[in-house]
Amino acid sequence: MARRNALYAKNIKKDINRGGVMTEKNRTFIWGAASLFSIFFTLGSSAASAQDILMNRSPDRQRLLIEGAQKEKQVTIYSAMIVNQALRPLVDGFMRKYPFVRARYWRADTEEIIAKVSAEARAGNVSSDVVEGTGIGELAAEGIFMSPYYSPMVADYPERYRDPNGNWTATRVSYFSIAYNTKQISKSDLPKSYEDLLDPKWKGKLAWRIGTSSGTPLFLSNIRIAMGEEKAAAYFDKLAQQKIINFGSGSARTLVDRVIAGEFPIALNIFAHHPLISKAKGAPVDSLLLDPTPATTATMVVTKGTRNPHAALLLVDYILSKEGQEILAKAEYFPARPDVAPLESLSSVVPAIAGVPENFINPEKLLKYTESSSTIYQDKFR
Amino acid sequence: MIVPAANAERSSIMRSFQIKRASPLVIILSLVLLALVLPPTFFLFNVSFHETNIDGSLGARTFRFYEQLWSGRFFLPSLYNSIIYAVCSAILAIIIGTVQAIIVERTNAPGRSLVLFATIVALGVPNVLYTVSWLLLLGRAGPLNQAIAHYISPEFVINVYSMWGMILIEGISFVPLTFLLMSAVLKSTDAAFEEAAMMSGASPIRSFWRVTLPMALPGVCALVILIFVRAIESFEVPALVGLAGNINVITTMIYQSSHSSGRPNYGEAGAYSVCLISFVAALLIWQSRLSLKAHRFQTITGKGFRPRLINLGPWRWGAAAILGIMFLLVTLLPMVVLLFTSLQPFYEGFSIEAWGRSSLENYKLLLAPGSFRDSIVNTLILGTCTATVVVPFTALCAWLVARRAPGAMILDQLATLPLVFPAIILSVAFLDLFVNAPFAIYGTLLSLIIASSMRFLPYGIRYAYAGALQIHSDLEEAATVAGATRWVMFKRVLLPLLSASMISSWLLIFLTSVQTVSLPLLLVGPGSEVMAVTLFDLWQNGQVTELAAMGVVWVSLMTVVSAAFHMITRRWQLAR
Repeated sequence: MARRNALYAKNIKKDINRGGVMTEKNRTFIWGAASLFSIFFTLGSSAASAQDILMNRSPDRQRLLIEGAQKEKQVTIYSAMIVNQALRPLVDGFMRKYPFVRARYWRADTEEIIAKVSAEARAGNVSSDVVEGTGIGELAAEGIFMSPYYSPMVADYPERYRDPNGNWTATRVSYFSIAYNTKQISKSDLPKSYEDLLDPKWKGKLAWRIGTSSGTPLFLSNIRIAMGEEKAAAYFDKLAQQKIINFGSGSARTLVDRVIAGEFPIALNIFAHHPLISKAKGAPVDSLLLDPTPATTATMVVTKGTRNPHAALLLVDYILSKEGQEILAKAEYFPARPDVAPLESLSSVVPAIAGVPENFINPEKLLKYTESSSTIYQDKFR
Repeated sequence: MIVPAANAERSSIMRSFQIKRASPLVIILSLVLLALVLPPTFFLFNVSFHETNIDGSLGARTFRFYEQLWSGRFFLPSLYNSIIYAVCSAILAIIIGTVQAIIVERTNAPGRSLVLFATIVALGVPNVLYTVSWLLLLGRAGPLNQAIAHYISPEFVINVYSMWGMILIEGISFVPLTFLLMSAVLKSTDAAFEEAAMMSGASPIRSFWRVTLPMALPGVCALVILIFVRAIESFEVPALVGLAGNINVITTMIYQSSHSSGRPNYGEAGAYSVCLISFVAALLIWQSRLSLKAHRFQTITGKGFRPRLINLGPWRWGAAAILGIMFLLVTLLPMVVLLFTSLQPFYEGFSIEAWGRSSLENYKLLLAPGSFRDSIVNTLILGTCTATVVVPFTALCAWLVARRAPGAMILDQLATLPLVFPAIILSVAFLDLFVNAPFAIYGTLLSLIIASSMRFLPYGIRYAYAGALQIHSDLEEAATVAGATRWVMFKRVLLPLLSASMISSWLLIFLTSVQTVSLPLLLVGPGSEVMAVTLFDLWQNGQVTELAAMGVVWVSLMTVVSAAFHMITRRWQLAR
């Protein structure tokens, strides 16, 4: 017993020393049977290379995909969408359409998704086939853990919502606005521009989310893009005088709830539709779009080394299809697909409908700005 | 006269540090611990000395995280805040928990049996929710401030986003833990000494101060270390309460500098933990020196041992009132806020108008088909397995440590190590380990149970150590003389004596392990989800009212499970 444990401990240690890769010899030595299992898996992937399958544009693509998926029998999506309203209905809808594929999902925030997918990629133990979330396209832009793919659905999407190289496609759009407590702030008092936020009357009354890229960094990036670096820097110096409340550990939704509770009168850079959902229930909160309103997208990629490329493409097609996008719309997301309208009740925060200029920041641009914006936050606002 | 004995003591301490002469049992246990603790520790050291690439792999070697830690302009103020915060909340928690434990274990105050129940309910509330409900209570729009503004003056409205707010919330959230641990200590301290003191004319308070407390000292020390380190490591309260008031502690300082860009960045948190590990190791060595005269604390001896209750006379109603106030603070107030919030369409403070809006809408949404079905069984398996693995294992380790078996000190050190791992680093380390395993363990519930067992080792060992210290070796020697093997002696003599503390340790680990979020988030795959992840999902995407509803459902479930467990073990104890 002692020896075996020692051996185990030693192996783990060695293992890590080598950067986590166990040799074949070690495997068979301790876990012979288990390694047979993994060899089976390798044999499972079919003769045609996964990349050919993913890029297939031939007319019989759909037939080939279905045939392939019938053999694969399963597909897994890692996504940041909410489970009850979006992810589960999506997967259920997909399985009604393709009953021979068992679709499974795993939900987490972008940061965890990235940690998990990249650990799997490094270990060569890929468990996901499709990955969706905000911040995923940024990684795709750097060429990490995804394979380019072709889907006939992509043609229906505007150019800015897809990658020219086929690495990612947008699934849903997010607009960011200001949430304010309607009991504490009257309509006439509201800031009308970003400049108005510098008014001394807002000192200590503004809150924003730190610790997440869609919080402070996005707010700063938006202003840098809109005003240009020089003017933006001057603006930030003044904004720092406002002593913005740093809201840590908590989502944008939580911050809006705190505005409703009267803790903070104004929250900067929250998801524009959250206040509307609460307002509809009678909560004293509303959403205010400023010029320009930042917009970003959640994006979808196919995992590099996917074991089920056929089923993965069927799932991608489904999520990008009208049917899939309608499920997202019902879950209070803004669908990226132009011919699917967002919920009527939420349309007032779509900049194009509200008549407010939009600053769409695509994944490449976001990636370029986020790092330097966090530095600005560190230097001026901490 | 005392000198030779003291020398013998000292040499026995030295012995417990000697690994070469360790018995096979100690070696086996250390190896098991090493297998659990070493991989994440190695990972921790590694990330603290390397850049992390965007794909999560390690890049160039660097010392910059350590330099940043010390040289940053935020370091000294944050360190100062951290220490004040940790010391004060530990003191607050220990005072309240100890008073509760003494009244419950030693007096005949009415309502004592309810305290355990209240404690279990409070332990069942996930940490984040507990903090949120306190903020709803004490926040600017909370009922307290509403009352102050209305009846006194808006000028006197309290600001909870302050150091005292952090200390109050964190301290109170530790009370259930300190109460359980102190009860375990008191249960295994012979009340005969206190009786003797009181018969000699000492007042109950004096007898506590001069007799009970000194006797319980090693147990109390183990507890202080645990709570202090927990408070230093804690994140929820500093992030939710402190940051909003611009009060930085070390954990939030690191969070601010490493989490802003959404890229993997574990270096600084790693460097901090490495420093903390050395600090905790030093604390443990200091603690073992403190309990140098360990035999003095062995109060459970061969003679008839039966904790007796002090008759407080009319004072017992006063004691009951104290319990009542604590119950109000620790359990009732946060639960009422949660319950109230869960019935609301949105939370806007307490008012008659708000009562009128109450409905069960949030529950309907929550209990929709498919929400919990898959995760509830997994959750129970996770909690049960973790607690059942950790408790007996740490009991054995703690006994060896308390008996100063050669080399046993290493057991304590190893088992306490996981306490200082930041949750995210621990999860990433285990993720890395399991995803590379050559057998199909990645993504399974089993992998989560292994990681979770490792995470809760420190609680098990601190708990068991407090209990084991006080059992006199007489009893073991008697059993051995009567011809019992070591195993039989452990099973028939020690386990029954330790059972009281083991049962509450089990409950504690069960209740805390099921609510940990970061480990299951990364380790489980599709199909093996646990409820904590659903809770986290709501925390991220849901509204606070839905989150509260989930909290109420959660607490009810955990209370039922704990009560069932308590009844079963009670019957088992009585049957013996």
